[in-house]
Amino acid sequence: MDKGAANPEIKDKVVAYLHTVQKAKSKDIATAIGEKKSAVDLAVKELTAEDICEYLYITTTYICIKGKVGAPE
Amino acid sequence: MTEKKTPQLDELEKGQWPSFVTEIKKAAATNAASEDLLHLLERSYEDRIGHWKHGGIVGVRGYGGGVIGRYTDLPEEYPNLAEFHTIRLAQPAGWFYDSKALRSICDIWEKHGSGLTNFHGSTGDIIMLGTTTDHIQPAFDEFSEAGFDLGGSGSDLRSPSCCVGPARCEYACYDTLEACHNITNEYQDEIHRPMWPYKFKIKFSGCANDCTASIARSDCSVIGTWRDTIQIDQDAVKQYAADGLDIQDRVCDKCPTRCLKFNSETKELTVIGEDCTRCMHCINYMPKAIRAGKVKGATILFGGKSTIVQSAFMSWVIVPFMKMESEDDFAEFKDLMGRVWEWWDENGKTRERIGETIYRLGMGKFLRECELPPVPQMVFRPRANPYVFWPQDEIIK
Repeated sequence: MDKGAANPEIKDKVVAYLHTVQKAKSKDIATAIGEKKSAVDLAVKELTAEDICEYLYITTTYICIKGKVGAPE
Repeated sequence: MTEKKTPQLDELEKGQWPSFVTEIKKAAATNAASEDLLHLLERSYEDRIGHWKHGGIVGVRGYGGGVIGRYTDLPEEYPNLAEFHTIRLAQPAGWFYDSKALRSICDIWEKHGSGLTNFHGSTGDIIMLGTTTDHIQPAFDEFSEAGFDLGGSGSDLRSPSCCVGPARCEYACYDTLEACHNITNEYQDEIHRPMWPYKFKIKFSGCANDCTASIARSDCSVIGTWRDTIQIDQDAVKQYAADGLDIQDRVCDKCPTRCLKFNSETKELTVIGEDCTRCMHCINYMPKAIRAGKVKGATILFGGKSTIVQSAFMSWVIVPFMKMESEDDFAEFKDLMGRVWEWWDENGKTRERIGETIYRLGMGKFLRECELPPVPQMVFRPRANPYVFWPQDEIIK
């Protein structure tokens, strides 16, 4: 993973995109917002530390807006 | 504890081996979740189905791995198992603890969880079984205070693990503990923040005996080997012969490449060095007479995994020999990992392990795009593994 601080604009784009879906892989987010995946990974790292997003495991790991997806049915 | 019967579980307490049922019963004496666990397991044996679902939450704040959400699908009947999450703690290289560390782990877990543990899970982590969502963050905070960190779970780098290596084993061709510790520290982001198509495991074995079973259980196997020729002590060979070991039958005839020759008259053992595949068979049989060569390092393999999208794979040799002694050697390994992960991240489908991506797209593409040269060690024998093809633009028609 890249080191350093994330780009604030990319963080905003990630959050905006996640509001439009229930959950997504970071690769899909990168494709959807047209940014490099490594930059999205860095943005997600900061967004989870800020409690805005969270990781979610449903057969593989996804990212979602915190609290958007509950416990499995 | 209630008087509910568990006749099928009770069967598992019979015999000479330690029983997990006995241990759960001990925990059930003071912990309601453990008691429910006992009865839920009996129920599963009756119904012949697991009454668990998993997923959802995966970590503490800022982490994407290390916590596996577990819930029973019968929460009304087993209310203490409505949430019964697992926490993985990263293990120290080689699994060395002092009693103080073990006590602190157990004390924290009795306070925040069921008290049940598993030393260790198949990835090598310390497994803490059973806690509620409310206790995850406080438990993590206390484990952190005690010097422990979460391990990997989900689509991240799982906690690297290693054999005991030179700490207790004379066969180790490199310091597996140092390598595991170094790589674990380097890839903290990759362990705690899942970003890949699926999980990735690295296991370090000091020799081809492969005590971590890395070739079958890890996406990247780092297996100790040597570049020169085995060292033979002829006096010790003679002693083995004098002690009655049938060297021809037990050692030479079992050598996979028949590279060892034993002269029954002079009692001398010789080796055809270039034919030796460094399998460890002769060394295991005659450790006092045969030792690994002097130029030691590791073979790097990729692709091992259990059945997921494709069937189970054993790892393929990718780099036949790499020194694993200094920080520069580790830097070479990390450079390789960076290229391989980037390729897999770019090309892998969701839930596809790297071995499956290589299998789907071809070894040739993987090698070319990761800038790895094809080498003879990648094939079992000539024409046996024809997965390395000439690219069209290199063929002179």
